[in-house]
Order: sequence, then C-alpha cells, then structure tokens
Amino acid sequence: MENALAQAVRGDAGAFESIVREHQGMVFSLAYHFLHDRALAEDMAQEVFLHLFRNLRSIQSPEHLMFWLRKVASHRCIDHLRGQQPQTNMDDLPEPAGPTREHDPLLEERLRRLVASLPERARLAVILRYQEELEYHEIAEVMEMPINTVKSNLQRALAVLRGKLARCMGDVPA
Amino acid sequence: MNPLDHELKNALRRQEPSADFARRVMAGLQSEPAPRSGWITVIRNLFRFPALRWAMTAALCALLIVGVLAYRRHQQAVAQGEMARAKVMLALHIASSKLNVALRGVRRADGPKKVQDAQRSE
Repeated sequence: MENALAQAVRGDAGAFESIVREHQGMVFSLAYHFLHDRALAEDMAQEVFLHLFRNLRSIQSPEHLMFWLRKVASHRCIDHLRGQQPQTNMDDLPEPAGPTREHDPLLEERLRRLVASLPERARLAVILRYQEELEYHEIAEVMEMPINTVKSNLQRALAVLRGKLARCMGDVPA
Repeated sequence: MNPLDHELKNALRRQEPSADFARRVMAGLQSEPAPRSGWITVIRNLFRFPALRWAMTAALCALLIVGVLAYRRHQQAVAQGEMARAKVMLALHIASSKLNVALRGVRRADGPKKVQDAQRSE
C-alpha cells in the first residue's frame, strides 16, 4: 500500500484505483450507515475519493491515509446532514416497528435504521466504534472532540438504543 | 462483549458499494488535473524509501559534524586574531611610552642652552 500511495502521488492512475478498491468498503459503509441511503452514500464516497485525489500529496503514510479517509468521510456526512435537517433529540427517536425475535434477520436492519436516526455526533461515534472498531481516543481524533464527550455521546446513544429495542422486543440486550 | 455490542457490530459491519464504484471514481478523475508534486512532496517521497532515508540521515549527520568543525576552526581563528591584535596594541603602547620619555629628555637638555643663548644676545 505504501508503494501504491507513492505511485499514486506520482500520477499513476492504476495505483490510485487500487487505493480506492482497498478503502471503498470503509468509506462507503461509513456514509451508508450514517445516511441509510445507498445511492447517497455512493455519491458521498465518490466525493471523498475525488477529494483524496486532490490532496494526495498531503498523505504521508498508509496509516495517515486511513485516518484521513475516516475523518473526511465523517465530516462530509455531518456537513451533509447539517445542510438538510435540524438536529434530532435522542428522546424523540422513532422506535423500530413490530415484534422481533432473538437473532431476527430483520434485527440488523432495525438497528441500522435506529442508528441512522440518532443525532449526528452520537450516530457517528456509534458507527466509528462498531463499524471501524475504534477506541475512544481514536474516535475523538477523527471527530475532533474531547474524549469525554465521545464517551458520553456513546453511552447516551447506547442507552437510547437499548431502551428502544427493549420496548420493541420485550427482551433487553444487556 | 454484551449482546447489544454484538448486534451493533453485526448490523454495522462494512459493506461494499456497487461493483462499478471504483470505475466510476476513476471516470470522475478524468476531469481532475493530476496532483502536482511540490518540492516538499518530492523530498518527503524520497524519505519513503528506507535505504534512502538512512543515506539522507547519514549525509545530514556528516554535514552537521563538518559544520561544527568548521565553526570551531573559525572561532579559533577569531581568537588568534584577537590575541595578535592585543599584542600589537601593547607593543604600540610601549613604544609610545618610550618615545614620550625620550622626548622629555630632549626637552630637558634643550632648556638651559636656550637661556644661555638669550643672555649672550643681550
């Protein structure tokens, strides 16, 4: 990947394409879980990679590339929502509809919908934590916020998710 | 890991975009100018290669050592110059004192002779 990065900086289109293929899942998933819209998420992921192409020379290493992509994708998602809708209050979140069983194949989709309806910062923190499996300090770096704010956002978001799921399923995941 | 954590990890696992995503990104790049390589990038890129990184580090160290030696040599030359200047000043000072003493002696010897010449003319 280090070679691909160096080659891409020198203008090698094939090397840049391999970078896109390597990271497209991560960037697209961040946008998709945040926006819950495949078409919109693909457009946003495409914008992120175009932005990367314009800023390739500022990327210092594969690790920096990963961090940069997460950060730019996260901020683009938040910027997109800010231009669209007012801030959601966690207590006003819609509850998933219908009864559900343990290991319900629809549970994942319900959870995704519920996550996608969280307030923007809490949503992003949950996605970075569970999709990217980042530690609190890494989430704080990507989101450019204090680590304690990240922790409180996550705790509150999980409490809300747990409450909404409990009301829907009757059985609370601990 | 509690059940909710587990469910969230499953629900939020990475997904791939449509198959032609990378191709569309590359098509979008056609209208983009190629990234420019500034001189800072060129230098940074040089440091990406480990062998070159070590060579550059060794060269920088050598340059630093040569610089320090040259500076010390310059400082020594300046100190020697200052010492030579002080010696010249001391020599001039001594010569000046001796000349003053000699001049006073000459004036003292000349003084009575001038008085006798004046009486004789009267």
